[in-house]
Amino acid sequence: MAATELSGKAVGLSVQRADGIAKVTGRARYAGDIELPGTLFGRCLRSPHASARIVSIDARRARALPGVHAVLTGADVPDTRYGRLCKDIPLLAKGVARFVGEKVAAVAADSVEIAEAALELIDVAYAELPAVFVPEDAMRPKAPVIHPEAVEIAAGAATRSHGELRMYPPIPNVISRFTMRHGDVAAALARAHRIFEHQFAVPSVHQGYIEPHTCLVSIGVDGLVDVWVANKGPHIARGHMAEAIGVPEDRVRFNPVAIGGDFGGKGSLMDTLLCHCLARATGRPVRFVMNSFEELTAGNPRHSAAITLRTGVDADAKLLAIEARVIFNAGAYAGFIPAPTLHGGYAEFAGAYRVPNCALEVLRVYTNTVPRGHMRAPGAPQVAFAVEIHIDMIAHEMRLDPLEMRQRNAITDGDLTPHGETRRHLRCRETIEAGARAFGWHRPKPPAVGRGIALYEHPSGSFGRSTVTLTLGSNGRFTLMVGSPDTGTGFHTIAAQLVAEHFGVAAAVVDVVQGDTLTSGFEAGSSGQRVTTTVGQAVAAAAERMKQDLTALAAERLNCAPGDVRLGEDGSLAAAGATIGLAPLMSWAAARGKAPLRCQGENDPGRPNDRTSFVAHFAEVAVDTETGQVRLRRVVTAHDVGTIVNPLTHQGQIEGGLMQAVGQALSERIVLQDGAVITAHLGDYKLPTSMDIPELETVLLPGGSGAAPFATTAIGEMSNVALPAAITNAVFDAVGVRLLELPVRAEQVLEGLSDRAGAA
Amino acid sequence: MRRITLTLNGASITREVQDSRLLVEFLREDLRLTGTKESCGVGVCGACTVLLDGYPISACLTLAVHVHGCAVTTIEGVAEGDRLHRLQEAFLAHGGLQCGICTPGQILAAKALLDANPHPTRAEIQHWMMGNLCRCTGYYKIIESIAAACGAE
Amino acid sequence: MIAFSYLEPSNLDEALGLLAKHGDAAKLIAGGTGLVNFMKQRLVRPQFVIGLRALRSLADVRDDGGLAIGALATLQSLATSGLVQRAAPLLAEACGHVATVRIRCMATIGGAMAHADPNLDTPPALIAMDGRIVARSQRGERTIASDGFFTGYYTSVLAPDEIVTGIVIPRQPAGSGAAYCKFLPATQDDYATVSVAARVALNGDGAIAEARIALGSAAMVPVRARAVEAALAGRAVDAAAIREAASLVLEAIDPIADFRGSAQYKRKMAVVHVRRALAEAAARARPPA
Repeated sequence: MAATELSGKAVGLSVQRADGIAKVTGRARYAGDIELPGTLFGRCLRSPHASARIVSIDARRARALPGVHAVLTGADVPDTRYGRLCKDIPLLAKGVARFVGEKVAAVAADSVEIAEAALELIDVAYAELPAVFVPEDAMRPKAPVIHPEAVEIAAGAATRSHGELRMYPPIPNVISRFTMRHGDVAAALARAHRIFEHQFAVPSVHQGYIEPHTCLVSIGVDGLVDVWVANKGPHIARGHMAEAIGVPEDRVRFNPVAIGGDFGGKGSLMDTLLCHCLARATGRPVRFVMNSFEELTAGNPRHSAAITLRTGVDADAKLLAIEARVIFNAGAYAGFIPAPTLHGGYAEFAGAYRVPNCALEVLRVYTNTVPRGHMRAPGAPQVAFAVEIHIDMIAHEMRLDPLEMRQRNAITDGDLTPHGETRRHLRCRETIEAGARAFGWHRPKPPAVGRGIALYEHPSGSFGRSTVTLTLGSNGRFTLMVGSPDTGTGFHTIAAQLVAEHFGVAAAVVDVVQGDTLTSGFEAGSSGQRVTTTVGQAVAAAAERMKQDLTALAAERLNCAPGDVRLGEDGSLAAAGATIGLAPLMSWAAARGKAPLRCQGENDPGRPNDRTSFVAHFAEVAVDTETGQVRLRRVVTAHDVGTIVNPLTHQGQIEGGLMQAVGQALSERIVLQDGAVITAHLGDYKLPTSMDIPELETVLLPGGSGAAPFATTAIGEMSNVALPAAITNAVFDAVGVRLLELPVRAEQVLEGLSDRAGAA
Repeated sequence: MRRITLTLNGASITREVQDSRLLVEFLREDLRLTGTKESCGVGVCGACTVLLDGYPISACLTLAVHVHGCAVTTIEGVAEGDRLHRLQEAFLAHGGLQCGICTPGQILAAKALLDANPHPTRAEIQHWMMGNLCRCTGYYKIIESIAAACGAE
Repeated sequence: MIAFSYLEPSNLDEALGLLAKHGDAAKLIAGGTGLVNFMKQRLVRPQFVIGLRALRSLADVRDDGGLAIGALATLQSLATSGLVQRAAPLLAEACGHVATVRIRCMATIGGAMAHADPNLDTPPALIAMDGRIVARSQRGERTIASDGFFTGYYTSVLAPDEIVTGIVIPRQPAGSGAAYCKFLPATQDDYATVSVAARVALNGDGAIAEARIALGSAAMVPVRARAVEAALAGRAVDAAAIREAASLVLEAIDPIADFRGSAQYKRKMAVVHVRRALAEAAARARPPA
């Protein structure tokens, strides 16, 4: 199936990044690098209270400060509420502030310094209200209701698997409740040999992109609103913005900029609507840059989660049924994600296993804390942590090697997924085996050294619309216009390689440009590891059409019937002994007014996908038993992959994702105190450094079955999900300390060691 | 306001700056040299790394008035015209960048290392580069790129 | 950033004059890693910032039996100086552990002392080396023992009109060994959970003649562990003696709970790392010839 014929000139080569030279020379332009004459600088005043009524705001002194052009409070901005699905985010707090860090007033001034000085001159009187910080409290019958008014929900609230979804069910502060049942869990548990129940907790972490949220809004004399924003899906964002400000979509133009990292965090408008209000109020362009304190305390970090798993196994430790309850803390606003709940919390639940009976309940709950958003495989890292430790704990109780436990329960062809769906070409067991072999799972090890394993399953994303415009110029070069930025993944470079592959030419003759939202076709953007698949499908459609046009052109040039023309090497066209290269053909066409050729291509977002991919991580740790310090010595990551378009960027996705997982495993956590984020800068919120990387070996199992053109499979969200569980399982293997919460901290390991010593 | 004179990417310039202007603001806003990026603002991430008399520093924690009389190198001064520096070539060839926002800082930090120690070991590279955070690459390919640029094994 | 007036004296007398004139309204700036961060976070709001960058002679390192190090010497220059590595290896080692190379290239030894942050690496090293801090004002110059210089969280005995002009490190006891242990259980660029500087000098028969131990991140100030020192004097270098003495560090410390650990955990870690630092220092020591 995967044995696709490749030209050897494009797909499969480590082509250098198309945007590389601009980036290594500092010439790439990010939103913060765009200069417009007369630009003002926007800053926000933020609430110091987790829940408070705003009694009064006196901005007179701020307005009087020289250099201040506008000061807006909740009373000065429209009542519009923004959200990617649940429309619950006000432009500025109106009457009530719901978390520490909520925007209460905004200033546009000649400089950031003046704007910040003005913020200190705004007097706000607050009356504190009762607050809730964790879902457990928020869901209590008499809990304070954070959003008492009805929240508007955009059309199309749906989940990615069958089950029952209820938005805003009658439980206090619950945004969504999703339930799914497959098989008969009660009956299966009734006949189980043993039943295990464990609870897990995963804290919020920040996406950690180095470029903070940045936007620049300029309103032209003709009313056209120009936007430069660090956003990964400009077409969707443009639609939301046009709707919010009440203009047709073609009166808002999102301009292409480089994006300094996304990892799921840059899908929202963040400050863009407020920036627009200030631009309108001042008649000048306004730029907003969140500083890193704001990013960490008032961005849209990953949802924290509390997860309860209850599993029945037979006497051979085979899984009979799993019952799961997942509670996501959404913070004060639901609008930062485009879905009712986090799909990784259910759709990829225990996907590596044969689970004949499964019941899921997934709740997403408001609290008076920082609003949460999406981060790389939303929901999956939280749930995979729970599942993979739970499986280890069961293996331990059943006196089974963790590797054997997984081999025994790995999903294979013929099994239904935990959702009761059918998938084909499942290579979970092969992936585990390949990784275990490279890792040396059974090799002897020194004391206080441990090994752990964790699995994850995730299909390529095939949802959302992708549209491309392919142009073949009179010089024989191709230009592919796409509608969303390369957030760093290499997407634009890969798109060039895909175009080139269709014509048998080198990627160097293909330019990929990102159009603005007026000139490019709709593109849903980089998310859910979709673009290689969906843009690949759109490219295939455009290339197919262009081949027809080219064939017709060549037939005319070569005086033959279109049916006689064949596409040859290097994009040449041949018929009846005559051959013509692309460049001469197009030059000939240009002279007759027939160049350039231009074709659109679209994907088919409804196309069902019965394929998926697996990853098996193996981690080796050394634990210092006097301090509890865990040193991650070695990782083997084994991936079930299809055709790899660009080995360099593919491996880059694996390595970058792994180190994000290492951060989540060992150092990163957003710490809340009375609802406020207190890990407020990168001195306290610790991202891994170059000194924190383990020895790494990557094992690729080629020949995986991609449903996408050229049998590619996605890699973007494969490596960052399950590794923390492998590391945590390795800690148990090393010293017998079982941790049910991330991150693994030396202090908790040491406590576990003393508990064990005390018990012994 | 104060008048400062500095050698910026090899050329002498004189400018008036506000006393409290940070070097990163001076470069990005006053001189429109936007290759220097600002992120954490507290000297941790290294996105704003520039070289001051050859030493890597955080432009977000440096007053512009403090570079008076000094030589400052930014990413705009690393290539010679269209000829890329061997580090820039190596980052391209070895995948040492993805989103690119940390890349100017990475390259300048690496340049300071190679200028002082042309043949660092891989461990020395890893240790020196600890101050430049990258969320995309996981560091492996940055280390490979620098090692390749100086012929380390 | 807040607004302020920047003043740049061209010599030390001028700097002392400006400081005397503006007093509490002024702050000195050298590398800026401490002050600029504080000003950006609005923790301090000086009206005047006095830049010391022109006082270049204050960056010298002189060998005068011990070492006389100018306040403006950067931590990177000290970490990599052959002279410092020979005459004050503990200082070089501690400087090499400070944050990241970029911070080391900016931060100065005088700034590190004046900043009086209990989490820094160099103050414990200086205390363990019996170093002194030289401060000048228009009233004159004084030399202050590092053990006693720090009075509280970000505070020291420095008067508002005084400038740290340098540090003095006496000649280290012949054959003494020293070690700096910085406990970093999360990332390698973090502040320490606890850090320990130890120096061990042996006598002719190989027993411990004198031990000096100081800790960072273990209290509101860098602290010296005198009880540990006393317990080791005259003892043979053996694991049991070191272990027994190390536990006495608990008398000296009063750690603050933070992201790097609870107070209780830091106490335990102080004991472990005092022991490790002592063992390492003793292993590096040799009896005087």
